[in-house]
Amino acid sequence: MDFTYILDALPDLMSGLKMTLMVSGLAIILSCLIGALGAALRTSGFKPAEYAVRGYVEFIRGTPYLVQIFFIFYGLPSLGLRFSVFWSGVIALTVWASAFQIENFRAGLAAVGRGMNDASASLGLHRWHHALFVVLPLAARAALPSSMNTLVATVKNSAYLQAIGLVELTFVAVDRIAYDFRAIEMFFTICVIYLLCVFALSGLGHLVEQRLNRPFAGR
Amino acid sequence: MKDNDRRDGWTKRPEVCVALTGVDKWFGAVQVLHDINLEVRKGEKVVVCGPSGSGKSTMIRCINHLEKHQKGRIVVNGTELTDHNRDIDRVRRDVGMVFQNFNLYPHLTVLENCTLAPRWVKGVARKDAEALALGYLERVRIPDKAHFYPSQLSGGQQQRAAIARSLCMNPKIMLFDEPTSALDPELVREVLDTMVQLARDGMTMVCVTHEMGFARQVADRVIFMDAGRIVETAAPEEFFGNPRESRTRTFLKQILH
Repeated sequence: MDFTYILDALPDLMSGLKMTLMVSGLAIILSCLIGALGAALRTSGFKPAEYAVRGYVEFIRGTPYLVQIFFIFYGLPSLGLRFSVFWSGVIALTVWASAFQIENFRAGLAAVGRGMNDASASLGLHRWHHALFVVLPLAARAALPSSMNTLVATVKNSAYLQAIGLVELTFVAVDRIAYDFRAIEMFFTICVIYLLCVFALSGLGHLVEQRLNRPFAGR
Repeated sequence: MKDNDRRDGWTKRPEVCVALTGVDKWFGAVQVLHDINLEVRKGEKVVVCGPSGSGKSTMIRCINHLEKHQKGRIVVNGTELTDHNRDIDRVRRDVGMVFQNFNLYPHLTVLENCTLAPRWVKGVARKDAEALALGYLERVRIPDKAHFYPSQLSGGQQQRAAIARSLCMNPKIMLFDEPTSALDPELVREVLDTMVQLARDGMTMVCVTHEMGFARQVADRVIFMDAGRIVETAAPEEFFGNPRESRTRTFLKQILH
C-alpha cells in the first residue's frame, strides 16, 4: 500500500467528503421532518392519509434504492420534472430515508401509550401542548436507537449517488482509480473515512441517548 | 338514598355537581353502560364498586369525556357534555382524575409534572406554578420528592404525586379510577390516607375502588355496578350491613373475607 499516494489524493477525497456530508446532512434533516410528519399522519386515524403513507412506505421499501435514484434522475425529466444532479441526489436519498424514518417514528409513537393521553386530557392540556411536551420527547426517546440506524445508513447510501454522477466521496475514489489503478489504496481510504463519519454520528447518537436516558428510561 | 328520609331538609341540600341521566355507551357492538342515572352533589363522596368489566371505570371516564357516551345526558357543574370542544374543556377544567397506573409523565420531574398543566392551560407563571405545586406536594407529604423523576419513587409516592398534579388545576370534583389497585399492599394505606384527607377538606369525589374500609370511612353513598348497570345504591352502613340485591351480596362475600 502506497501511503504517499493516499496523501496525494487526500485533497480530492476531502472535497468529495464535503459533498457526501452536504447531501447526507440535507437528506437527514429532511427525512426526519418527513418521518415525523408521516408517522403522525400514519397514526392520525384519517384513513386516506394513513393509506397514502402506508403505500409510500411499502413502495420505497419494496423497490431497489438504485432504481429509485435512476427513476428520479432519468425518469422524472420525461414527466417534465428536471433536477440538477445535486438535488436529484438529495431527493433520492431523502425519499429513501423518509420511508424508514416514518416507521421508526411510528414505533416511537406507539411506545408512548394511551395513559399519557388520558393524563393530559384530564388535565385539560391542549392537544398541541400534549404533542409538544409529552408525545414528542417520549416518542423521540423510544425511536432514537432505530432512527440512528437509519441515519447511519443514510450517510452510507449517499455512495450510490455516484451512479448519477454526483461528485461525492465514492465518485472521487472511483474516478481516480480509473486513471491511476490504485484500487486498494482508494477503497481502503474511503472505507476509513466512511467509518469515521459513522463513528462520529453514532457517538453523537449515544450522547443524545444519554441525555435522554435520565431515570425515566428505566420504566 | 330514599327521598322521604330527607324531605324536610331537601331545599338545603347542596347543588348537583354531576348528573348522569339515562346514559348508554357502546364499545363497537358491545353495550357497556345501560341507562346509567347518577347524581353527585357538591361535597359528596361516592364510592363505585363492582366486578371487573362491570363498567365502573367506563362510567367515570364518561364524566370527563375520556370516553364518549352515545345516549343520555351528562351535566357537570351546569355544563352538558356535547361533542363541542368548548364544553369538554370547561368540564375538564372542573374535574380532576387519578388513574390506576398513575400516568405521570415519565420524562418530567414530579414538580414539572405538577406545573405543566397550570402553566400551559391557565398561563400561570413558572414561579407561581412551582409554589402552588410545592404546596400540594406538601399536602400529599412528598415535598422532598419534587425534583425526582416518577420512576425514582415508590408506587404510593407516585400515586400521591399524581393526586397533587391533579389538585394543581384546582378541580371542584375528583375522579379516582382504582387508585390503589396497582400498588403493593403496604403502600395502599398512604394513598388512602391522602384521599381521606381530601375528603375531609370537602372535595367532591367519585371513587372506583375495592377498598371497602375506605368506603365505610368516607363514602356518603356506595354504588354497586354489574354488567353495565347500577344495581344498588345505598349508604355504606346499609350497603355493607344489609344489601338488598343478591348480586351485591355475592360480590361482597367475595371481596370481604
